[in-house]
Amino acid sequence: METKETLFDFLQQQSGKLLEQTLTHTGLTFISVLLAVAIGVPAGIFISRRKKISGLVLGFAGVMQTIPSIALLGFMIPLLGIGPKPAIVALFLYALLPIIRNTYTGIQGVDATVTEAATGMGMSRRQLLYKVQLPLAMPVILAGVRTATVINVGVATLAAYIAAGGLGEFIFGGIALNNTNMMLAGAIPAALLAILFDWLLSLLQHINIRKTRKMVYLLPLIFLVLSSFYLLPDTYRGKMLAGFTPEFMGRKDGYLGLRSVYGLHMRTLVISDMIMYKAAYEKKLDVISGSSTDGRVKAFDLVVLEDDKHIFPPYYAAPILRNTTLIKYPALAPALNRLAGRINDSIMTELNYQVDYLKQNPETVARDFLRSQHLLQPAGSGKGGTIRIGSKIFGDGYILASIYKMLIEGYTDYAAVTKTGLGGTKIVFDALTNDQIDLYPEYTGTGLLVLLKTPQHVTDSIIGDKQKVYEYVSQAFKKEFDIVWLTPIGFNNTYALMMRKTDAEKWHINNISALTDFVNKRQ
Amino acid sequence: MIKLDHVFKNFGPQKNAVNDLSLEVADGETLVLLGTSGCGKTTTLRMINRLLEPDSGHIYVNGKEIRQLAPETLRRNIGYVLQNTGLFPHYTVSENIAIVPSLLQWDKATIQQRVITLMDKLHLPPVEYADAWPQQLSGGQQQRVGLARALAANPPVLLMDEPFGALDPLTRISVRREFKALDELSNRTIILVTHDVEEAFELGSRICLMNEGTIQQLGTPLELLRRPANEFVAAFLAPQRLLLELKTLKIKDLWPWLPHQHGPGHTTALSADQNCWEAMEAVISQPVLVQYAQEQKILDGSGLMQAIAAWKN
Repeated sequence: METKETLFDFLQQQSGKLLEQTLTHTGLTFISVLLAVAIGVPAGIFISRRKKISGLVLGFAGVMQTIPSIALLGFMIPLLGIGPKPAIVALFLYALLPIIRNTYTGIQGVDATVTEAATGMGMSRRQLLYKVQLPLAMPVILAGVRTATVINVGVATLAAYIAAGGLGEFIFGGIALNNTNMMLAGAIPAALLAILFDWLLSLLQHINIRKTRKMVYLLPLIFLVLSSFYLLPDTYRGKMLAGFTPEFMGRKDGYLGLRSVYGLHMRTLVISDMIMYKAAYEKKLDVISGSSTDGRVKAFDLVVLEDDKHIFPPYYAAPILRNTTLIKYPALAPALNRLAGRINDSIMTELNYQVDYLKQNPETVARDFLRSQHLLQPAGSGKGGTIRIGSKIFGDGYILASIYKMLIEGYTDYAAVTKTGLGGTKIVFDALTNDQIDLYPEYTGTGLLVLLKTPQHVTDSIIGDKQKVYEYVSQAFKKEFDIVWLTPIGFNNTYALMMRKTDAEKWHINNISALTDFVNKRQ
Repeated sequence: MIKLDHVFKNFGPQKNAVNDLSLEVADGETLVLLGTSGCGKTTTLRMINRLLEPDSGHIYVNGKEIRQLAPETLRRNIGYVLQNTGLFPHYTVSENIAIVPSLLQWDKATIQQRVITLMDKLHLPPVEYADAWPQQLSGGQQQRVGLARALAANPPVLLMDEPFGALDPLTRISVRREFKALDELSNRTIILVTHDVEEAFELGSRICLMNEGTIQQLGTPLELLRRPANEFVAAFLAPQRLLLELKTLKIKDLWPWLPHQHGPGHTTALSADQNCWEAMEAVISQPVLVQYAQEQKILDGSGLMQAIAAWKN
């Protein structure tokens, strides 16, 4: 029995990476807050003088605040691509509201008699602002900066989705890999950073009003220094750039395998798979980790590199459910198994293409597919109970969930509801074991490597054979979780490295070994 | 020194806050703008240091039309005292007093000297109060700091907007007394706004009684009492008429009507510049000797009353 890796072990092993991510995170936070102060404080001053437009400006900043952070990051990508630029802009927009609003409120809150006295004594507007309004509004403005900083420490974790780095890399990697240590290694420092900055700024805020006068000049300087952290880790330039999902980064059958088996070392960014393909197409990235059946491979004119040393294990999809569910709903397994062997790689790619790229509704695509396979039946009574179908947030999951819903309703008297978009493997698997959902489609490879944490020698002995992997996973799941694997659907949605077709042809790269040679020569 | 020439100001379409107002204030005079709230007295005051701009008409300070000056320049040469002091909460007492001299870029030593002088004169021992914060002071002390701040740069003109309005009655009377005794104020041209009739009669060398943006009467306290210009003035003063008369009338004003009485053993206890109110307090216990223009008279209660009655007729 292997001893379980503790959080402390993980932190020790990854201390370099952790430091880098913490610095990046701090940098991201403070660059954006600094920008927000540079724009927000003057804006707040401006609207305190022109009350008519104050509603408009505060409204705009308020709307920015209500956009979900991940959506805001998403909006930035078409405009600014991926990486730090869109992340900083999005974070800046988030920080804007508290700073504008607090500047405005702070200045409005200065006793009218005091400003009248100042004007009446012959202070110019400038003197009034610098000697009276800003010093008296400073505690309120600092409170705004404090709020903005804490918000941004939190939102900056999402920057990992668009290849801007930060502690989100560990957090999302950990969620994707079902690796609690990795998740905590990101989450705890992020929380500590938020608490630390909040505390430091609260000290500043409550310092004697007189000393803040000097502090006001010091503050931007401190922010500037903290901002510059972002530039430190950026030491590679002008080399091939790979964008990998957080999940891929930490997996043995992912980047770790690429390094150990192929000896591939390249500059990598962590990026969400939602935008990865497009980023490759737009030449923001040169190599990406995709899934072989993804519709966007077709849409964005990419080419899958052959895994000539077989490090990517088979990822055959099959529905998994708790044994108790099967006993409770005996008609379920036959209905689900009607799909077994029906979808091969190219069909899945085509289905994904329709959903991911042609933006068709997964339900429509599922219905059309079932009709073409003569499997579509009108829905039954639905009185026999309700089956909850889960899925991960990938195209495969949505389509398969819809297909299963129609199969269950067509061939049994159960009703079915779908709970799609449950995030990564860990979230959806926890939902299954905790009886939040009844079934979801899982991949054999994920079961083997992520959920079971199979010992290395076992993995090595069976990884080349898809049948052996399926058998091992079925048995182990039954024993360990009392969860049953039904018959695989047919397609193998394995990891794949891919690059632009034009590049691959230009440099004659058709497999991962060739890519490794190419990268090593270039460096 | 200060001249308002057909000044109009309105804030809404209906009614003029200040309606065709003309007046002149002589050098060294204290003019009190008196009236109920909303009569336009504060508006008038705020137009003189350009916190408000008149809709039409001209205002001259020291012979200069004020619009020819930058507002800041104008204001730095006019002391301004507000009802709620408007002291800067983030400045110490001495820093507050030094604001205008600093704006005028006096050198540090001069400012320091001036601040200490003023604090001494206003009974705020610098050792104790120079580094205190305004919030730590009593209302009366704060008002004195406000006055010191207005006087700091030696402005020839002082505008005071209800300077004692926020103080409790006891403090108000004592601060007012100090104010009257303050030599710093003796040569300045002062315009003071108040709604307190007694205060107006006590402090004003002339009083401008206003109603609905127009002047009802402009004159010395005695003129207002003796010859009210219209019904409004008479009605406005009626409730406190006797008190005002007693406080305004000085013994010397009554001199012709005071009986000639002589007697030994009386010491001079009153000056002829004191008012009837004070005289009455003095003569309640025993008659007193008053000297005026090389003449001595013995003053007692009945003599004083008869003289007042005679003056009124």
